[in-house]
Amino acid sequence: MIQVSLSRIGVVALRVVRQLKRDRRTIGLIAFAPIVLMVLFGYALSGEMSGVALGLVDEGGHPALRSHLEGIEDFGILRLGSESDAELLISQGRLNGAVVLQPEEVRVLLDASSLQISQAILAAAQSGAQEEAASLQKPGVVITRYLFGYDLEMMDTVGPAILGLVVFFFTFINAAISFIRERSQGTLEKFMVSPLSRVEIVLGYVLGFSLFTLLQSTTTLLVVTFGFKVPMRGNPLTALAVVLLLGAGALVLGSFLSNFARSEFQVVQFIPLIITPQIVLCGVWWPMQSIPEFIRPISYMLPLTYAGDALREVMLKGSSLTEILFPDLLALTVFFLVFFAAATLMLKRQMY
Amino acid sequence: MGPAISARGVVKSFGQLRVLDELTLNIPRGVTYCLLGPNGSGKTTLIRAIVGLLKLDAGDLKVLGTPVSRVQEIYSKIGYMTQHKALYPDLTLQENLEFFAGLYGIGKQEREQRIVELLKMVNLQDLRRRLAGALSGGMYQRLSLACTLIHEPELLLLDEPTVGVDPRLRQTFWEYFERLASDGKTVLITTHLMDEAEKCRIVGYMKAGKMTAVGSPDDIKRQAGLKPHLELWLKDLEGDCARLRSEGYEIEILDGVASLRLESHEQIKSVLEIVSPLDMRLKEPMLEEAFLQLSEAA
Ligand SMILES: Nc1ncnc2c1ncn2[C@@H]1O[C@H](COP(=O)(O)OP(=O)(O)O)[C@@H](O)[C@H]1O
Ligand SMILES: [Mg+2]
Repeated sequence: MIQVSLSRIGVVALRVVRQLKRDRRTIGLIAFAPIVLMVLFGYALSGEMSGVALGLVDEGGHPALRSHLEGIEDFGILRLGSESDAELLISQGRLNGAVVLQPEEVRVLLDASSLQISQAILAAAQSGAQEEAASLQKPGVVITRYLFGYDLEMMDTVGPAILGLVVFFFTFINAAISFIRERSQGTLEKFMVSPLSRVEIVLGYVLGFSLFTLLQSTTTLLVVTFGFKVPMRGNPLTALAVVLLLGAGALVLGSFLSNFARSEFQVVQFIPLIITPQIVLCGVWWPMQSIPEFIRPISYMLPLTYAGDALREVMLKGSSLTEILFPDLLALTVFFLVFFAAATLMLKRQMY
Repeated sequence: MGPAISARGVVKSFGQLRVLDELTLNIPRGVTYCLLGPNGSGKTTLIRAIVGLLKLDAGDLKVLGTPVSRVQEIYSKIGYMTQHKALYPDLTLQENLEFFAGLYGIGKQEREQRIVELLKMVNLQDLRRRLAGALSGGMYQRLSLACTLIHEPELLLLDEPTVGVDPRLRQTFWEYFERLASDGKTVLITTHLMDEAEKCRIVGYMKAGKMTAVGSPDDIKRQAGLKPHLELWLKDLEGDCARLRSEGYEIEILDGVASLRLESHEQIKSVLEIVSPLDMRLKEPMLEEAFLQLSEAA
């Protein structure tokens, strides 16, 4: 028998908000942690992006142009089987551009979202083609095509993921600690002997924390878009919806795992187990394709993988809610529902 | 209406430990009932069983006429104060009370009225905006009691509610409980303090998971066969005692004072017709001794 009263959920949410509001340290963390992380990650990782990732599809006819391109030090060249492979990788942001060599013509595929790099690729291809034309005594034809990919500025891929990471981390830790306290203070036992149901407790927490997630996401988004010039091509409300869903997932996970910790100190010990894999495996710092195949299933179980992907889609590509429904929103919803059920069931297990 | 709580043959074990051992108990409505017993005797466990937090191994337990398996249905009629004094230290007194009022769907106006009344009863009315975490132990206790009473429960289950509360305020508590009882509410209080038990209408003495004696404090003393004693300071100790003994009184002499066992208080007059003491003192039996006797006998 599960009864849900909106007013009781509201009462729990109001209490959670009042408690969090009073905690200055937490408020400070909500506001400043994203900024600090962004500066740290943004600058620490910016060096890795100096190279240009260029795809090369060689269907013959231009050995001189090919060796010219291969000779450019800044270019990391990836040989590809077909033009469609190149298109896919550019649209995924894994390549900055590609050159397709065919006996009759040379096509240069460029990423419209990173103009500087596109210019460099185009200039290299054109000068190579000119040299070749001069030696072959026949005019070279270079056709340029722009595709819509990601701007490969480091902050652009990292920014959305940091937003997700910060929200997940903050909500997870605070929710786990709150539930530990409910248990050690005896308030949970008191709830058990009141009209408040387990579902209402957890939903009240979800609602209360959501308000803080909104606050945190809004400030972070402002910093990311205005401070770090990360584009916001989609609807910011769509991005907020993704973050709220992620936060709700983190909350129920924290509530569930609080059953396995006896103290707030032990909660902190979950961080390496819960947070670190998400940072490493969510496909932000290292693309999913570079993660060893046997670990990849884990990546696909982590909410941050989907939240990061959804946020990049919305912010960098302007995807709408329906475009990120599958798999991202679906996966986040499933994650939430699974741990929501687990968290409420564990609240019951307190009665032995 | 049946009793507030009725338990028959209730058994609860934690592993090897039998904490409630075929316990039988009957608490009528509209009384203050004191569950007295040494630490570890199972008082908290019994209260947790009553509110449905424990699965019983055996026995029959009814709360306000409802079987304990369906006790959730009457949670809005129960006020449960845990031994933990469940409160939020990072909320103010007012916010704590508002929160618990909200759980029971109490409207704003009624809530404010209750909060004023209860804070006055626990003598914390000047600290409404203070954080609960800043209160002293006894104050915390009092706030916890107020939170438990906020929804005017029909059945109050208070686990050691007066620990750390000063004697004067304790007196206020007891008067309040007495008032609740005369309004038809039932108040069950656990304590390990004997003097608190004296103030309840009914006392149940619990030992090792069993009720070993139940009744009003006077009943209990009678059950234990304890009688008042009259201590007499006599001019002619030997002679006076011999005379009293010849009249059939039991006398012990300790440090030059004669201690005489009374069957009833009326006997004092006839004693004074036999001897005229220099001084005398009436010693009522202690509840504590009664319990000791009864639980040894059990
Ligand atoms: N959840 C539990 N698991 C194991 N033992 C318990 C549990 N709760 C109580 N006990 C044991 O039951 C006994 C009675 O405890 P309790 O009811 O708290 O006594 P009291 O409240 O009279 O001091 C104690 O020995 C205690 O250790
Ligand atoms: Mg106890």
